[in-house]
Amino acid sequence: MKTLLLVLAILAPLLGGVIYGLERKVKARMQNRMGPPILQPFYDFFKLADKRPLQVHSFHSLMGIAFFLAAWFAVFSLMVGPNLLVAIFLHVLALLFITAGGFSVKSPYSVMGALRELAHILAAEPILVFAVVGLYLASGSWNVIDILHSEPPPLLKMPLVFAVLLLTLPILLKKSPFDISEAHQEIIGGWEIEFSGIYYEAVYTAKWLEYIFVYFIIFLFGGANYLLGLGLVLLAFLFVALIDNSTTRLTIHHMVKFSLGVLLPLAAFNVFWVALWGH
Amino acid sequence: MFKFLKRFRKKSPWILHYNTGSCNGCDIEIYACLAPKYDIERFGMLNKGNPKQADILLVTGPVTKRARARLLRIYMQMPEPKVVVAVGACACTGGVFRHMYNVENGVDRYIPVDVYIPGCAARPENIIAGIEKAIEIWEQKSRDRLELPKVCTKTLDGKQPIDRRQIVEELVGKYTEKLNPEELL
Repeated sequence: MKTLLLVLAILAPLLGGVIYGLERKVKARMQNRMGPPILQPFYDFFKLADKRPLQVHSFHSLMGIAFFLAAWFAVFSLMVGPNLLVAIFLHVLALLFITAGGFSVKSPYSVMGALRELAHILAAEPILVFAVVGLYLASGSWNVIDILHSEPPPLLKMPLVFAVLLLTLPILLKKSPFDISEAHQEIIGGWEIEFSGIYYEAVYTAKWLEYIFVYFIIFLFGGANYLLGLGLVLLAFLFVALIDNSTTRLTIHHMVKFSLGVLLPLAAFNVFWVALWGH
Repeated sequence: MFKFLKRFRKKSPWILHYNTGSCNGCDIEIYACLAPKYDIERFGMLNKGNPKQADILLVTGPVTKRARARLLRIYMQMPEPKVVVAVGACACTGGVFRHMYNVENGVDRYIPVDVYIPGCAARPENIIAGIEKAIEIWEQKSRDRLELPKVCTKTLDGKQPIDRRQIVEELVGKYTEKLNPEELL
């Protein structure tokens, strides 16, 4: 089990690329299009390596690479590390790196994207913390191995937390009603606007790692029942693609109000209920 | 190494679309290419609004005097290797707006154009065929073909304001020298 998770963590960028390719294909089929081949993200990856990189300044490029490395560390500590909470904090750290990079250049789109990214952190990360606390309460441990062996699946004790996490996925993965921080054609990618060539590649790959990070937390809700976990991941995947195709972008105020006003109280209610009267 | 990477170019051309004052006819046809009927995403094409990550520049419209500085700036911001496709009669020659007082008669007076797509408006099939041709040309190019002019030679301390108009004029001069303006006029 431990070695399997280690191998998964090392292969996480490859796996994330496949998930991203599948998502583009599924979204295209939902719109009755052919869609790109499943390996399309890797073709993009190799093509971007051949482009000439234009740097704004070295700190900006460094933050792009730091974003990728911190996101990979977050996946590592989620899968093999001792503590789930550390993974969440590393995830926040990765997003803060890219925010610092976004603020460091003069482009107004980049600065605006970074500002909106801060709102994304404000909206999504408390819910992630509640999800992890919920997993702890249901299984009695912060460790992934113990959670993957916990017998009644955490989903049964934490149905509200899971539903809330499902609704938070568009915020975490920057998908359509809440793709506010990168808003293509509105602020042209937000903080990713000034990256190019191999430096853009780092950012592009880090986004694949986000998929692995988020879907693995969803998988943990299945507990020892791995089939249930895979089913939940599939449900979340299709849900995100459907929501992305069928909604339009909301504003930052809608996102923060919806997240902190509706989702967070629901998750907190479930967690406190189980903590106080669950046993 | 680069030979290995070159193979993937034709599989993921990212396009950037810029309208230099066209009547929007060609723009609608370009968006028709992205819609389900023609679906150019099946070839891996994405409409990136960002010149720093794009490979193919689709230009529509006769270049108006207001748009030429932006056109040059966008062209300059695209990293090598890149190709330019002029979409529609206006972008090729100026079309019905040719020799009007506010129009510069086509894209190739200012930036080097690789593929010309005729039509008013250009049909989606033509646009797809033109992009295919552009990919063929793109595969021949190397990433260090054209030397980009360096603008920021002196360090900026942030106290003196940057005169963007002056920078663009300097670049316009450099590019028209490279293109040999006597041949074009």
